[in-house]
Amino acid sequence: MTTPAGRVLGWAVLVAAIVLYPFADRALGLHTVHAVSDGMIYVLLALGLNIVVGYAGLLDLGYAAFFAIGAYSMGLLNSPVLGSPLYGHPWSFWLCIWMAAAVSALLGVIIGAPTLRVRGDYLAIITLGFGEIIPVAIRNLGDITIEIGGWRPIERLNLTGGENGVNPVGRPYLPGVPFETDPVPWYFLILVIGAASLWAMNRLRDSRLGRAWMAIREDETAADCTGVNPISTKLLAFALGAWFSGFAGSVYAAKLQAITPGAFEFQVSIMLLCMVVLGGAGSLKGVILGAMLITVFDRVVLTQTTAFVRSVGRATGVPVLAAIDLTLWRWFFFGLGLVLVMLLRPQGLAGRRLRPVAIPDDADTAAVIESAPAVRADAIPPWLRERARHAAPDTAPAPILEVQGVTKRFGGVTAVNDVDLVIPRGGIVSLIGPNGAGKTTFFNVVTGLLRPDAGRIVFEGTSLVGLRPNAIVTRGIARTFQSIRLFPQLSALDNVLVGQHCRLHATVIGGVFRPRAVVVEEARARERARDLLAFVGLAGNEGDDARNLSYGDQRRLEIARALASEPRLLLLDEPSAGMNPRETDTLTELIGLLRRELALSILLIEHHMEVVMGISDRIVVLDYGIRIAEGNPKEIQRHPKVIEAYLGTGYEQDVNA
Amino acid sequence: MLELTDVHTYYGNIRALRGITLSVKAGEIVTLIGANGAGKTTTLRTIIGSVRPRRGEVSFKTQRLDRLPTDRIVRLGIAQSPEGRHIFPRMTVLENLELGAFVRRDRDAIAPDLERVFTLFPRLRERLTQKGGTLSGGEQQMLAIGRALMARPTLLLLDEPSMGLSPILVDAIFQIVRDINGQGTTILLVEQNARMALRVAHRGYVIQTGRIVLHDAATELLRSDLVRKTYLGEK
Repeated sequence: MTTPAGRVLGWAVLVAAIVLYPFADRALGLHTVHAVSDGMIYVLLALGLNIVVGYAGLLDLGYAAFFAIGAYSMGLLNSPVLGSPLYGHPWSFWLCIWMAAAVSALLGVIIGAPTLRVRGDYLAIITLGFGEIIPVAIRNLGDITIEIGGWRPIERLNLTGGENGVNPVGRPYLPGVPFETDPVPWYFLILVIGAASLWAMNRLRDSRLGRAWMAIREDETAADCTGVNPISTKLLAFALGAWFSGFAGSVYAAKLQAITPGAFEFQVSIMLLCMVVLGGAGSLKGVILGAMLITVFDRVVLTQTTAFVRSVGRATGVPVLAAIDLTLWRWFFFGLGLVLVMLLRPQGLAGRRLRPVAIPDDADTAAVIESAPAVRADAIPPWLRERARHAAPDTAPAPILEVQGVTKRFGGVTAVNDVDLVIPRGGIVSLIGPNGAGKTTFFNVVTGLLRPDAGRIVFEGTSLVGLRPNAIVTRGIARTFQSIRLFPQLSALDNVLVGQHCRLHATVIGGVFRPRAVVVEEARARERARDLLAFVGLAGNEGDDARNLSYGDQRRLEIARALASEPRLLLLDEPSAGMNPRETDTLTELIGLLRRELALSILLIEHHMEVVMGISDRIVVLDYGIRIAEGNPKEIQRHPKVIEAYLGTGYEQDVNA
Repeated sequence: MLELTDVHTYYGNIRALRGITLSVKAGEIVTLIGANGAGKTTTLRTIIGSVRPRRGEVSFKTQRLDRLPTDRIVRLGIAQSPEGRHIFPRMTVLENLELGAFVRRDRDAIAPDLERVFTLFPRLRERLTQKGGTLSGGEQQMLAIGRALMARPTLLLLDEPSMGLSPILVDAIFQIVRDINGQGTTILLVEQNARMALRVAHRGYVIQTGRIVLHDAATELLRSDLVRKTYLGEK
């Protein structure tokens, strides 16, 4: 562990090195500032791509398109070739860079929109298509003539400069700073833009939006069912990723003074992706490292090694060496590097290593057995109690959820057939039935993952049909999953914080600039998440990755995450699956406590009859999608159809045994 | 038939098994009971070769297993129905079952075995052409067990076969375990439902934090104080 003083010293050395580097370079006559500045532009691009790929987990193979859009926005707005009225004004670069970022972000949204419904491989293929379309479009928009009948509304319009590109592009202007002749001001310009972007990204990652991105990356369906809107979250990833490429593109255009469509080909997208993957997707440090390594290798190491090998070749008289050009091999080296990294360190050079947490080596066995903690009413977070009191007016005798005639078909199979179900406010209703009876499908219909083919679903007086899962969570229904669906690589605390997503208000701008309201909100959210973890017995595990928790702990964490969205109706899908009798007892107590203390209404799917019969007010039995029985536990236990289809004759013997 | 001698298995630096010694004789049903995270699944994973023990020996009949790859172990006649239902989601129920018989050479005997699986789980016959991933959780559980049976193993490893099944099927599944055993298959059973497991098993091992703490005939374990309090939930 480094001390705080050591850390400050380390930062001071780093900043000093970065600031002094161009002067040292000049004094030593190395002439690398130019190449390093270009490298920093790629660092910025790779960081932008990291938002899309590393944070939100959306594989984008056409990111160079946004680089092109940024560069051409600057070029078109700030070049005499195309008659831009902004050209020649001293402030125009400083204005255009913001416009370029905004245009890129806008196009990010437009390009992102059609890809939102697709995932994984399909998304990658679509972005690949866009990456190809943009340079071709730029090439062919240099000479446009539209002819309708004999009328030509547009004749030989040069929109993009075509194959020749845009040349020149206006430089930035600052009094007394020689941007025309000296690479050092460029170095500092890019450094300032890059540092500001890095600062913003760092804050975004730790914001409400950053958590939502990572939740989407980990499990989009679970995120949706936890209250994160996947559409707007993914669009914001595309938009913000494009925003930073807009900065990078406009600086690139102004620095190079000329842009051509050839600079934004597919290979650039791949190189940027290499930088992100090499360093470690999702890690800011890793991406900077990966991008710097690749550009410095490309721009400095390869050229200098070529010169060295050639001189060796000339001195020794080997013609092959004397004529070699290693820069032609750059893709060979990038490819080789990527293969080696994937084989030896798949998480990237600076990526977080996935390792299980250590359990104490000589954990007391008795203590481990006792670890399913008893639930205590006084451990319920006061704010949750408060919220429940406000949410549950005593004057509401109407049922909290009314389902009428809900039907869901898959092809020829009717999974849920004309099912009615009513949950009274504060009631516990269980849904039981043979495997494949349609219980989970019914859950998925109520929570919006599936749209019913027929029927009404009314929650607190308003219809839920047609709402997306996240909108339903916001209205006050939370759920858990049959096979646990946490965000495995997020910490237990972050999992619960994502649960609060729909109750927090921080915007993108708020997340970056952190006004007081956002700081207060975030601190309160963390405190509440810790309260909830303590309530379910995970007080000591807040920093552990969800995937490293034991099975029972993961089940409890899922309940804490659901509670974080402040639900009034909780849907639990086989919460005791895989639990031993002792853990099952604790769970039953917990469910009873939630109803008693928080007036929570609960719909439960469960196969453990001790749980179902012990706490349900009403039980609904499904078989082949049809409701075959409904009643209180006593009635259901004696119901002949239920015994035949579900309980079996062995059950009664067991109960009486 | 199966012998584990002082097996230590690690995940990274974490000791998951701290010296497991157990044996399963031909024709037996042996159950392994214990809390979540005690090492039950890790024991099965070590036997089938998904993880390697750092120390100790796993042997089956006369063969050492702890250096063999999983596919070779399966060829020796060991099959596993994994926890968490690792079925092939984009293949049909029939294809899933046929893949279970992938290592077998007696092609003619496969059809009757398929019939046997359908007799055990009529629901699978109804779902024959459906994709595995579209089955309900409990149906996937049946498919995973059925697929393991299709390998016609001499030793069957069952990891929580009753998980997620309806009460009537829980009864049925333990009857099935008995039947399979009656037909000559040796079974190592991991279960949270300790009561049912001990009722069908001949012998049982109690595992706590990677160690065997108790080992006896199943009827004796059902009477043991430790088992009754911690695993049967009796007060």
